[in-house]
Amino acid sequence: MKNWGRFVISMELRKILAYRSDFWLSFLGQTFIQLFVGRALWQSVFEASNVTEMNGMNIDTLTLYYLIAPIGTRILTGENIGFISREIYEGSFTKYLIYPLSFFSYKSITYLTYSLFYSIQLLILYILYSLFYYHSLPDFTHFGFAIAGTLTFLIASVASMSIAMSIELLALWVDNTWSLMVGFRFFMHFLGGAFIPLVFFPEWANKALEWTPFPYFVNFPIQTFMGNISLHDWIKQASVLLLWVLVCATISKLIWKRGQYQYTGVGI
Amino acid sequence: MRYLKLYLYFLRFSFSKALSFRLDFFFRIFMDLIYYFINISFFKLVYLHTPLLGGWTQPQVMIFVACYLVIDAINMTVFSSNMWWLPYFINKGELDYYLIRPVSPLFFLSLREFSANSFVNFFMAFGFLIYALISYPVPFSIGELLLFSALIINGVFLYYLIQMLMILPVFWTHSSRGFVDLFYALGLAMERPDKIFKGWLRIIFTTILPFSLIASFPTKIFLEDFEWSALGHLVLVTTIFWILMLTVWKIGLKNYSSASS
Repeated sequence: MKNWGRFVISMELRKILAYRSDFWLSFLGQTFIQLFVGRALWQSVFEASNVTEMNGMNIDTLTLYYLIAPIGTRILTGENIGFISREIYEGSFTKYLIYPLSFFSYKSITYLTYSLFYSIQLLILYILYSLFYYHSLPDFTHFGFAIAGTLTFLIASVASMSIAMSIELLALWVDNTWSLMVGFRFFMHFLGGAFIPLVFFPEWANKALEWTPFPYFVNFPIQTFMGNISLHDWIKQASVLLLWVLVCATISKLIWKRGQYQYTGVGI
Repeated sequence: MRYLKLYLYFLRFSFSKALSFRLDFFFRIFMDLIYYFINISFFKLVYLHTPLLGGWTQPQVMIFVACYLVIDAINMTVFSSNMWWLPYFINKGELDYYLIRPVSPLFFLSLREFSANSFVNFFMAFGFLIYALISYPVPFSIGELLLFSALIINGVFLYYLIQMLMILPVFWTHSSRGFVDLFYALGLAMERPDKIFKGWLRIIFTTILPFSLIASFPTKIFLEDFEWSALGHLVLVTTIFWILMLTVWKIGLKNYSSASS
């Protein structure tokens, strides 16, 4: 990586940690709320159905699932919505056209710095969870799986970044892309299994979802993290994920290639 | 009357602004449709695995879902855009413009922008509420429906108060968004029946962070046997949050330096 790359990472990290109290309160709040609300929901479902396990999941595995899912989706979503479109609307996008740096490299580094930062948070929280929950942790949740799962999230974040870039770059043609980005995130979270694990989806829905990238974004990294996937299956699914990375990256490159000629540099 | 007239001006400007960005107008409708689809699908999926959730059957939960979708749609239409800009005005020192006007700054800042595109979505959410009510096997009296409507309005107000209380710390922290991200994450508690929460979690969501009072309590009072204690609790917490928000707002204004940061 060139020197400017390291400088960009350092600047982005400083930006993330600029308002520490807000950041930590928001981060921990968001993580634990989703964990507690998800756990409460399934406890209620188990009680009403008078069972302790459903579709191979019990309260402990679901607790771990809802600990990983919110931070995992943050790894995928990286930077805030508007990380490209805002600059297009404000006219400050010009710098990428005249400075001797690649737009794609710069934006990828800033986005993936966020993803990397959240990955470290995920591993730290997992260690804390293991210490707290050690007595009830199933033996498959080995730390090696956690690292493999986190790495899988990082690979998936490249694909989600490429889709996010494609949508953000549409700002070169349309007035506002914010709602499209929100819509994409809703789909990614729900159809990826962040709200409800995909094992609770009907079979026909799971079969249909296999043709989309969403299960590879959320469900696949979580299952890897929890040690539910064999090496053979991991290689198979990772190959599909890499294919999606390639497809999404190519699309965003094409949009950029055509879109840069639409840019007026005026801003609104 | 003066405020009503002023609000009508706000509406006129907001509609003409929304129609200047037509594509965005449709994108937002599309986004909210996805949000509604996901919320309804979520509970449909849960009910594939259980006959009851928090003591409610599927038709009851659909009324609850419709209730919080309507509350969310009203909030998105009336308050949300204004809430978005508030931290920016505080941090950039642009609050002065609102403080010197001969109208309540809180009224101006909270209601200035009416989100016309979300208004379309309000009709969709309202349509779903009507559908859920009609599909419910037991008919409702006019009195019950009027009470439910009043409780939904209370829910909108409480939602606004909590949102403001999450934004106003910007007066001290000078961060770009306050605790809005935390507020949206907490919104998840609003989207679940209150009876699934037990112990300390239930205490938190019915008093300190009263998200369960926004939609779940109104639905509970409407669908289950009427309890004065539940209604009293709802009114008391809303009143306390109203006083708290006004107090924090006043203290925040005293702390406001008008300097840009």
